Amino acid sequence: MRYLWPLAVVALVLAACSPSDDSSDTTAASGGTDTTAGGGTDTTAAPAGGTEVINLAVLSDCEGGFGGFHAQDLAGVGAAFAEFAGATITDPTDPVAGFTGASVNGIPIELVGIGCADDTADRAIEETRRLMEQLGADMMIGPLSGDESVAVANYAKDHPNQTFVNGSAGAMDTTLDVQAPNFFRYNGDGAQWNAGSGDFARNVLGWDTAAIWMDDYSFGWTSASGFIAEFCAAGGEIVTRAFPPLNNADYSSFAAQLPAPDEVDGYFWAVGGDPLGSVKAFQDTYGTLVPEQHIGNLFFEFILGEFDPSMEGAYVGGFGTAADLNLPGVEEHTAILAKHYTEFSDPGGNLAPAGAQAHSGFLVNYFVAAKALIQGLEQVGGDISDDQAGLQAALGGLTVEGPYGPVSLDDNRQAIVDSYVRQMVTDDEGNLTLATVAIVPGVDQSFGGSFTKEGGMPSREVPSCEVRDISWIGNSIPVVDGEPQG
Amino acid sequence: MTSTSTSFRSGNRLLTTQNVLIVVVLALAIVIPVFVSDFFVSFVLTQALLLGVAAASLIFLAAYGGMISLAQTLMFGVCGFVIGNAVTEGGSKGLNLGLDPWLGVLIGIVFTVILGFVLGAISSRSTSLYFLMITLTFGVIGFFFFGQVTTFSGFGGINQIVAPPFIGEPQEFIERLYYVALGVSVFSYVLLRYVVRTPFGLALQGVRDDPVRMSALGYNVALHRTLAFTLGAFIASLSGVLFVWWNRQIDPATIGIGEVLALLIIAVIGGINRLEGAWIGAFLFVIVNNYVRDVPGLNLIGLSEARFNTIIGIIFLVIVLVSPNGLVGIGSMIGHLFRRDRGPEDPGESPELVGVASGLEEKNEQRPHGPKEETIE
Repeated sequence: MRYLWPLAVVALVLAACSPSDDSSDTTAASGGTDTTAGGGTDTTAAPAGGTEVINLAVLSDCEGGFGGFHAQDLAGVGAAFAEFAGATITDPTDPVAGFTGASVNGIPIELVGIGCADDTADRAIEETRRLMEQLGADMMIGPLSGDESVAVANYAKDHPNQTFVNGSAGAMDTTLDVQAPNFFRYNGDGAQWNAGSGDFARNVLGWDTAAIWMDDYSFGWTSASGFIAEFCAAGGEIVTRAFPPLNNADYSSFAAQLPAPDEVDGYFWAVGGDPLGSVKAFQDTYGTLVPEQHIGNLFFEFILGEFDPSMEGAYVGGFGTAADLNLPGVEEHTAILAKHYTEFSDPGGNLAPAGAQAHSGFLVNYFVAAKALIQGLEQVGGDISDDQAGLQAALGGLTVEGPYGPVSLDDNRQAIVDSYVRQMVTDDEGNLTLATVAIVPGVDQSFGGSFTKEGGMPSREVPSCEVRDISWIGNSIPVVDGEPQG
Repeated sequence: MTSTSTSFRSGNRLLTTQNVLIVVVLALAIVIPVFVSDFFVSFVLTQALLLGVAAASLIFLAAYGGMISLAQTLMFGVCGFVIGNAVTEGGSKGLNLGLDPWLGVLIGIVFTVILGFVLGAISSRSTSLYFLMITLTFGVIGFFFFGQVTTFSGFGGINQIVAPPFIGEPQEFIERLYYVALGVSVFSYVLLRYVVRTPFGLALQGVRDDPVRMSALGYNVALHRTLAFTLGAFIASLSGVLFVWWNRQIDPATIGIGEVLALLIIAVIGGINRLEGAWIGAFLFVIVNNYVRDVPGLNLIGLSEARFNTIIGIIFLVIVLVSPNGLVGIGSMIGHLFRRDRGPEDPGESPELVGVASGLEEKNEQRPHGPKEETIE
């Protein structure tokens, strides 16, 4: 017998075709344990509408540009379920180990899997299919980043009997364009996060002109679009838009496309591939960088510790977080994290106290998403029958109390949130930190009609620079030393 | 007609162990959806089949043309992107032309084949490492083209790509797409097996073995390579069609450098010298991708789900070290053990890859003044 390869195929097929594949408890997340055992779940309660168990999945990024935030993402979910659904954290130093024993109205919630994506749509869909189709999840919290969320929202459209709550993704298209009826987002999009920055540049800093450089993909465009819409609505002019490719490493040619510091009033940055490299390229090109002339999107926040202290004075658009505000929710949120986790891996791969990481934007967004899902399940008594129609209706009408204030949804199931403008300052130890300088309350996704499904999603040329009426322009609340001044 | 192909077509030669096992595997593939879950059919089997088709195009070029092409993922993706631009009707990136799905498929395949001919012509005069680098460059250009030319995609990709009504919604009619993928796999396999036995295929193998000698014999080496590359593009385009029907979405990451290497890994672990290795490698790759992370205890040694590339890398190394010819090679090694006990092997089952150029040379030496039989001019 010369050729045995078909036998190998047969053997592989037979080895892999166990019908138990779909029902197996496969993840380290659930630890293979009975969820009813750990958290004192009342399994004798009558199933609501026939629901005996609620299978939950979480999709996060464990690879790619945001892979370092994997533990924070899972800590946000775990802390919410531990605090509001009676879950027991499997390992207080490892959020990826998941939790057990969560329940709503006596109905157990089982974490059936954690998806490992890499910030590409392709991988996100692959992982979503594994979680929903193989592991049998009823609902999912995730994904993390923009293009992933567009793909997952499209997937949601094709699976109306499942429910998806966005993790932390900020692409505008996800809710404004795709409009999947079973996809809910309780965090702002990239434009909303930067609300206030254009108004601030125009009306506080007095810029007449600005130059933009933004990553050439949906999140880069969306981030910049918030600044552009506001700045132009207030009468400013965008003189240059430059587009480094996603994950670019050499920014010198793009820095050279920008006008010199004496030719423009200021710059807006939405450069994520190598933010520090882009700053260095700017300094190398123009010989100097005046911090007050620069506003960065959340990417500036990610590398705050790597910036030279001379960057003090530069501004940073929001990530929906404002940890320095003197609000009761801020301290309460920190306490919740410290209560359920001791320490876990920070984005640099080092163990750091849970409380110190409590106000990471990713963690907060996943936390609020999980809290919203729990609230929605509570409203329907854990009943996810009727293709989850009741749950989805409940989620659409929720107002969730986040660490910094309430979050509600618009008709596209997109959050209406407060936004924050922050400035780099040095702390007592001489390290750069962020201080909130303005709050913009009640920011919706449309920016006064700047963004509509029919008008096209943010892109290189959208939005165009037009004067228009945006309700919150001129109405931001100044903040001094963490205290809102109004 | 060569002696090899003659023997293949004779009736008694069809009843070989190999062919019997192929029929058994095919029969198993036909009935298996009855016994396994929908997820396994859709996510494992269908995906393995469509990846196998793409890998078969790579193996065809490598095994029969001596061209290890890293552009097959690009061909696969170009077809998918063209279909996506052609058939979507709004609410997605791309041109949103809203054409009939079948017309989209036709345009996608034709466009990919033309592109394959052009890229094949450009790279046909390169060999070995230089050919590999040129085709890798094609792949990288394609990745950035679709990522940055937002008219056709952008990094977010194209969503909501519809399949023809015959396929239906993938989540509702899982078996339909599986059987289509199975049919395409069989078609691709049979087509490539047929082509390598034609005069063109034999000449191509001669080009692989000794292009200088083939050129001296009057064969147009560059044209043979170009046409082989074009055929490879056609096969890869079929895989691209299946992919967008299966995934309903395509983005530049689908054809990124990681996927380029994944296809090469599939071909190598399956066995880059035999077409069958494409599907075996794809099956193993999908299984590892999907199930290995669930093996108890792996996380204790640091091999979590985030370490998929490490896991597949270890498996890749083990297979290559144990058998340079991949899983197919392992099968052959086991076969050798059996044959030791059975005496001399059946000469009718010789692999077609061995000594083709020398065979052609012998033929022409036998007819030193007559017209060459194997030529495409």
